[in-house]
Amino acid sequence: MAMHLFSKSLLGLIVENSCLMQQKTFSLSAVAAAIQKMTRVRVVDNSTLGSTGYRRPPRVIHVYTKNGIGKVGDKVLLAIKGQKKAALIVGHKMPGKPMTPRFDSNNVVLLEENGNPTGTRIKVPLPTHLRKLEGDYSKVLAIANSFV
Amino acid sequence: MNIFTRINALLCQSRVLLEHTSVLTRVFSGPKVLNRHDSTNLASRPLIHRTSVYHILSKRCFSDVDAGRRNSTTSSDVLPAESQKPESDFNDNRHLSQRPAQTFTLDVLVSMLRQENAEEICVIKIPEHIKYAQYLIVVSGISPRHLRAMALYAVKVHKFLKEDHHFHVKIEGKAAEDWLCIDFGNMVVHFMLPETRDVYELEKLWTLRSYDEQLRRMPDEKLPEDFIFDLGDDKL
Repeated sequence: MAMHLFSKSLLGLIVENSCLMQQKTFSLSAVAAAIQKMTRVRVVDNSTLGSTGYRRPPRVIHVYTKNGIGKVGDKVLLAIKGQKKAALIVGHKMPGKPMTPRFDSNNVVLLEENGNPTGTRIKVPLPTHLRKLEGDYSKVLAIANSFV
Repeated sequence: MNIFTRINALLCQSRVLLEHTSVLTRVFSGPKVLNRHDSTNLASRPLIHRTSVYHILSKRCFSDVDAGRRNSTTSSDVLPAESQKPESDFNDNRHLSQRPAQTFTLDVLVSMLRQENAEEICVIKIPEHIKYAQYLIVVSGISPRHLRAMALYAVKVHKFLKEDHHFHVKIEGKAAEDWLCIDFGNMVVHFMLPETRDVYELEKLWTLRSYDEQLRRMPDEKLPEDFIFDLGDDKL
């Protein structure tokens, strides 16, 4: 795949796609502050809602914290396939505390209303400091395959 | 496929033994299985500690717990008979003679679960390289109320038997009625209904790890069509 050079700026960058991709221009901004409204996230469990293809990637529409910034262990509200779903953040691109892992994608695990995870397995590694945080994370850690 | 047949045999055995507690270890650590069985066997431990625990645990309400404790400790030669105050003295400055004779270990928890008529107690030893906990316990209950009662009682027993360095324990999943969870530091207990247990199959995941069939059924991740390989953002 041919790589085109693209210029970066603080506001955003316009990408010229190669012939294999569709002719869609969109802007990417630099990593600003972990996960907030309108961030596109990656669903990492094996739920049908998260795995089947979608035209538009799942976006965060609300972050359940005091400020609107979501870090690892925070609950968010996603819009997936035209429906609202609660989810838990298990990794983000923004660097966190020292000696905590930083992920290459903003990972999220879908949750039901009662707090049970929607999927049954998680292949992606989860951070181990999730266990020490305040909140109900044992269920998500129980269905995880690997830890980082 | 030798590993698979051995793991399957282990699982079949454990299914049979699930009425009584069984500990599933990795196939590599085979000899340890016998030790576990011996240690959970009631007859092998000194009887004094066992009876004291059962006297504590057989009474239901809180005041009765203490009455039972006082009665049982008179029989044991470790603690003096009459010099104990009732339950108001439950912090660190208990006199050495007033401290319970047991710490909150796996054996205590398992015997407590058996007494609570928990169905299908499954204790899994988590391998050393997974830095999560030491033991994972999955327990079924008859109804949501049963699960909740077991969880609350487990917390109560833990509070009674814990040492100074143990933290207080939180019941997770109170909003859900079919899956509750308690993290005791070195042990994690999951209380589930049988239907939920079949959906999630935690025992299979934690014994088979990467050979688990649900994990294998998950399709491999493919890069999306509009993926861009972005190099520049790392400031590390």
